[in-house]
Amino acid sequence: MSLKDILTPFTAWGNIVKEPITIKDPINNRPGAPRYRGFHKNDITKCIGCGSCEEICPNNAIDLLPVEGIETKDGDSGLRPRIDYGRCCWCGLCVDVCTTGSLTLSNEYKWIEEGNADAYRFTPGVDKKPWDKNELGWNKPVPNYEFYALDRVEMQELEPNKRDNSFIEIVQGFSKEQAQLEADRCVECGICVAACPAHMGIPAYIKAIRDDDLEHGLNILYDTNPLPEICGRICTHKCESVCSLGHRGEPLSIRWLKRYIADQNPSEEYKKILETENIEKNGKKVAIIGAGPSGLSAAYYLALLGYEVKIFELYPEAGGMMRYGIPEYRLPYDQIDKDIDYILSLGVEIQYNTRVGGDVSLDELKEKYDAVFAGTGLHLGRSTRIPGSDHKNVYQSIELLSKITKGEEINLTEKIVVIGGGNVAMDITRSLARLQKQKFGKVQIITTSLETEDILPADVEEVVEAREENAVINPGWGPKSVEIIDGKIKGLNVVRCLSVFDEEHRFSPKFDEDDKKFFEGDMIVESIGQGMDISYIAEDIKSSIEFGPRGRIVVDKYFQSSAKWLFVGGDIIQGPDVIHGIANGHKAALGIDKYLHH
Amino acid sequence: MEQILQDIGKQFKITDIVKKRDNLNFITCEKEQTISLITYLRDIKGFSHFVLLSVVDWIEDGVFQLVYFLNNPDKKIDIGIRTMISRENATMTSAHHLWEQIATYQRELKEMYGIDFPGSPRVDESFILEGWDDIPPMRREFDTKKYSEENFFPREGRETNDPEEYMKKKLYPDEEK
Repeated sequence: MSLKDILTPFTAWGNIVKEPITIKDPINNRPGAPRYRGFHKNDITKCIGCGSCEEICPNNAIDLLPVEGIETKDGDSGLRPRIDYGRCCWCGLCVDVCTTGSLTLSNEYKWIEEGNADAYRFTPGVDKKPWDKNELGWNKPVPNYEFYALDRVEMQELEPNKRDNSFIEIVQGFSKEQAQLEADRCVECGICVAACPAHMGIPAYIKAIRDDDLEHGLNILYDTNPLPEICGRICTHKCESVCSLGHRGEPLSIRWLKRYIADQNPSEEYKKILETENIEKNGKKVAIIGAGPSGLSAAYYLALLGYEVKIFELYPEAGGMMRYGIPEYRLPYDQIDKDIDYILSLGVEIQYNTRVGGDVSLDELKEKYDAVFAGTGLHLGRSTRIPGSDHKNVYQSIELLSKITKGEEINLTEKIVVIGGGNVAMDITRSLARLQKQKFGKVQIITTSLETEDILPADVEEVVEAREENAVINPGWGPKSVEIIDGKIKGLNVVRCLSVFDEEHRFSPKFDEDDKKFFEGDMIVESIGQGMDISYIAEDIKSSIEFGPRGRIVVDKYFQSSAKWLFVGGDIIQGPDVIHGIANGHKAALGIDKYLHH
Repeated sequence: MEQILQDIGKQFKITDIVKKRDNLNFITCEKEQTISLITYLRDIKGFSHFVLLSVVDWIEDGVFQLVYFLNNPDKKIDIGIRTMISRENATMTSAHHLWEQIATYQRELKEMYGIDFPGSPRVDESFILEGWDDIPPMRREFDTKKYSEENFFPREGRETNDPEEYMKKKLYPDEEK
């Protein structure tokens, strides 16, 4: 043995003064990597309980459960995900698919709790955990990491300069490729269904588009809505406003997809597709007043149930506000006809140019028919009643819109002021702008409303498109008086509107009388809402009907009034919009069936 | 790095180059040339360290994308060699003769994706899935949820709700169609 052999082991002692490279206490202090996929976190105020996490989970580890204190409401199921960690494989797909971005994974991977083995299952964000505030962990990487496109497939629309002097339809509709691409974005959560007044089977018909089974799609549409061409164009699409995709991107174009299904099915095939070629009559008769959305919807579902249905319509053509209110560039007449003609093909009869309460009395209908449905709508324009509003050149939007439909002459002037901020105000603004362009070659129209831009009741796209067509939209002003000199209208005096509603959300506008403005114009159009005309209900019948606040007829959930034979629905009960009318008509049809058979 | 890429281009048929960073590139080459290219990079271009072998399942295109990740420790640069192989009877020439540890990666890919590497040591032995009797689980046609439902029992007391039905129950329970 050499000296070296003896001394060498002692060289190891040299290490005693070196910094150790091992971690001293690995068990107590070993954090997960920054993007480690550990236990879940959920921002439950952001989560809407759409269930996409549950749907995508490859291990069935997620359940959706109600949580105390979280209410089920439009756009929020009130459910929240609970994770079973006996199954979770920490793949993170639930985070990646999350529509709101509320679900994340912390980088905590240790969880030690005494006692209950079921503690290994918890509702993130609800059951408080030590890692709730961990900022590290797995978040969906942004941008460019998406399971579905955040942007809509763009809808082709006529350019402003190609549409501003005609009433040609603006929206061009989806091609098959576009529709399927857009339908592909749907996560099928079904949050939209509750928000739709007709509770249409939205995820199912969108799936039908993906599957390219448009006949099945049409069947789903007609389960709840017999006016799909119309709704596919002008529905107020409450579904889209709650669409889960809208939380991080653009909501699904549900309305355009509905239109796509209706557009692609030829009308001559409808009876075959919808299996309505042979409907057995039940021998009972129902009269309907008004061929608007609610009346047509009631007629359709009653006809399906075998009733003989006759609609009494004041105007020369059917459709109500859909034809005489909504302009043709949004809803072409041939599309209205397609929906209505199909309903008529089931044997529904319409007696046009007939005023109930004039040409025929409600009493007569009561005698001749087993039940009556009234969907007479809101056809009386409301006036601001400001000084000068009784001038002959102050019009109601609703009368002008129906004149345009009928092709009647309008006493058009070069400068027009419209009062109103809703969709009807935009309809009349854009219609008059087109007529001005045709007649004078330029547009000079100002539309003003009490509501400021941020709370305008009109759809944003309506306002944007009106501006594209050179109308001036100047919201936030309260009309004070119509300026009249020598019997001629010179314009509208307005003052700044500070707020429209009071704290209890009642209509109670407040003005700054010192902040004045003058809108020049030689014609004023009021578009501040419509009222109902139920003068067709004679006094003796009226006395048997219960009325609620503001003269509204009280109805039950089937839209049955306290005069049992009389059902009432549509804008005079709920809305105003087409889809509520359709839903009301459908329910009333079921109610009439119950009333006449039980 | 530029020089290396140019040199590779002269000798091999490269179908795609993706420059991720100054020190990281991905190049795509044909299946038949892949092992030669890796050998060339190891022996001539100093990529002496094999980092990993991975795969992406492009089921829609009917191919697997193999990625051989190499490192040049002197120049501190990385390169990923991508190559597409058919998903049908997926087979690739083994590269275990270049780095012994590649055999382990290849064994894993055989088990998880069903990609065969004939001649690779122990390639047919179980890697981590002892007793596995289904299709390779990382292939995208493998239905994880179905497998999970069939093989793992739900914990007692589990229940769930469909958002659409639950909202109907809460918000409009009486409505019928």
